Amino acid sequence: MWKNTVSKFAKKTLFYILITSIAIIIITPLYFLVSLSFLSSRESYQFPLPLVPAISSEFKLENGDKGYLLSIYEKRDKEFQTLIDTGNIEKISRYMKTQLNVNVSIEELENYISKLEEQNEVYFKSYKGLLHNYKTFFAITRDAVPALIRSLQVVGLTILISLSIGGMAGYAFARYVFKGKNSLKVSALFVRVFPTVAIAMPMVIILATMGFYDKPIGLSLVYSIRIIALTIWITASIFLGIPVELEEAAQIFGATRLRTFINITVPLALPGLAACAMYAFIESWNETVSAIILTQFNPTFSVVVYQSLLDASAQVNLAASGGLLMALPMVLFTLFIRKYINQMWGGTGI
Amino acid sequence: MANLKLNHISKRYGKNVLAVKDISLEVHDGEFLVLLGPSGCGKTTTLRMIAGLEEVTKGRITIDEDDITNLPPWKRNMSMIFQSYAIWPHMTVYQNISYALKLKGKSKKEIDKIVKEVAEMTDISIYLERYPNQLSGGQRQRVAVARAVAVKPRIFLMDEPLSNLDAILRVYMRTELKEIHKKTNATTIFVTHDQSEAMSLADRIVIMKDGEIVQTGTSDEVYHNCKNMFVANFIGMPPTNFAEVTITVKDGKYNLVNPDFKIILNDKIAHQLKDYNNKKMIIGVRPENIMVVDEKDAIMSVKCLLVEPQGSHQVIVFKINDKISKLVVSGETKIKPEDTFFINFKQEKILFFDYESHEEI
Repeated sequence: MWKNTVSKFAKKTLFYILITSIAIIIITPLYFLVSLSFLSSRESYQFPLPLVPAISSEFKLENGDKGYLLSIYEKRDKEFQTLIDTGNIEKISRYMKTQLNVNVSIEELENYISKLEEQNEVYFKSYKGLLHNYKTFFAITRDAVPALIRSLQVVGLTILISLSIGGMAGYAFARYVFKGKNSLKVSALFVRVFPTVAIAMPMVIILATMGFYDKPIGLSLVYSIRIIALTIWITASIFLGIPVELEEAAQIFGATRLRTFINITVPLALPGLAACAMYAFIESWNETVSAIILTQFNPTFSVVVYQSLLDASAQVNLAASGGLLMALPMVLFTLFIRKYINQMWGGTGI
Repeated sequence: MANLKLNHISKRYGKNVLAVKDISLEVHDGEFLVLLGPSGCGKTTTLRMIAGLEEVTKGRITIDEDDITNLPPWKRNMSMIFQSYAIWPHMTVYQNISYALKLKGKSKKEIDKIVKEVAEMTDISIYLERYPNQLSGGQRQRVAVARAVAVKPRIFLMDEPLSNLDAILRVYMRTELKEIHKKTNATTIFVTHDQSEAMSLADRIVIMKDGEIVQTGTSDEVYHNCKNMFVANFIGMPPTNFAEVTITVKDGKYNLVNPDFKIILNDKIAHQLKDYNNKKMIIGVRPENIMVVDEKDAIMSVKCLLVEPQGSHQVIVFKINDKISKLVVSGETKIKPEDTFFINFKQEKILFFDYESHEEI
């Protein structure tokens, strides 16, 4: 009895340790990405990296050698650190904005400076602009917004193409008997064997002759080829799970084949189709390698984020906010589509 | 309402499998016809060909002289109840029933009226807004029936609609189906492998075996005038007891001789068998036609192996020629296992079959 309780307790403890470590492994990098995207440039190059981004900072202004000396209170060291020593007020304001994400207008600074005549030091506190990095990201990356729109276009087209073609092919594989069915089904997966980079040149040439080079439709065609293969396999098994009688019943009660497909089969296959859509979304939204090769002046968002890392002025906090911006649509789409996927286990009760 | 005719229809799967072999059948207007047979006999295939779900390899199907052989199912104006009910899980009961009506282009008001009507008739009015997974098996069955009734079809097809229900519900739904048929008077084709279901529902039973029709007739006809041994064995529960006999004529009397017993036939029956002198044949005796009698009236004595009480009656198991045989007696008869008792057959109820062809004589 006693032994039993102990072993039960031990098992439970081990289980929770395991769960927690898995959670930590998953959450830690995510947390760093999020926190990094809110850090100011100065903070992001500190070592060790601050675990929590500061919300406000305390500053000290005094007369310096070259003009005015600005220091910031470092909580970690419990002392003020010198930031900049200059007579140019505009420069101080710009420095605070770009390096510290703090918006202090020139008038305000002049106000503080005027106080310096009466006392040696002026202390003031300022709040950080939280979304500063995100604004900066859009400001410094050229054409981030159009790229975002292009990415959405690519994703939409990819989902449309791969679901309609893959879904119909999956239906055919599930319902009809024909010669070479199995080898055809396997060969659909075969297209995934080739690494994108290896077939980049022919792809560029083919798309160029089609007039689709550097266009969202060209990219989505390339993505669809890979995604269709998986869509066929997923939807085929979903359609197999829908009893044929449900379709036959619809036909007997007056629905044509197409109508049956639209009214009966598709709604019942929705969980599977949703899963496919999500897969297509993630795959085509994230894809960077083909996008770099197949676009020139009209890159997708993933390419823009990638380039922001490579820029001469590369700032990790900006890249992090770009990365988060990139993740955001996927998270939203997943949340939206989750309820359809959930039906697979909970709902329709076929 | 309609007259359905099957003209020499066949169904071939692949190269070698003949599922249905040259069947001809006429279903009259308002008739309740049951296709009965063991599994794999082609009855469901036949039904599916009538529904249009299966292509006809050879032959023609007509309704009131319209050839519907190559018509797709959605143009045939029939309705069907499936074994698995096949009600659509993503639609409410109301939507399930109204779907076909909507396709027919009926107005909202009309649809509402019909749905309420059939729901009333099948007793599911309070479930109209529910989804199928919130219903029990019996209720789903009712929805399937309501959906089939709502469209007022030319022909009703039912593919073993009761076999997924538990025993009590099955008998109950049987009565309901019969009642609905009476109300709608729709031509109905019902497929089943359950003979008691077939006998209780059918105006006419078509017994099938290996893709062919063996016998057609009313419940009484197929029970009492079995065309061959297969029918005699298949219809009736417990099945008919068979025994090989040789006919001998002695002093103008016909005798049926078996190693275990000898029966002296009366003249009326003997008359039918006059061509069979000294020939072997098979007799079939239904369990209720074997009587437990006193020693002086008996043709043989047997040892009871088992007693299966059924309440109103009991089934007694014994052996004739080392073959398990069964008889039915009233509940009061006191026979215990290991008891020896005496039996006789009701002569006028004995079925005679040819030894070679197994056909009725």
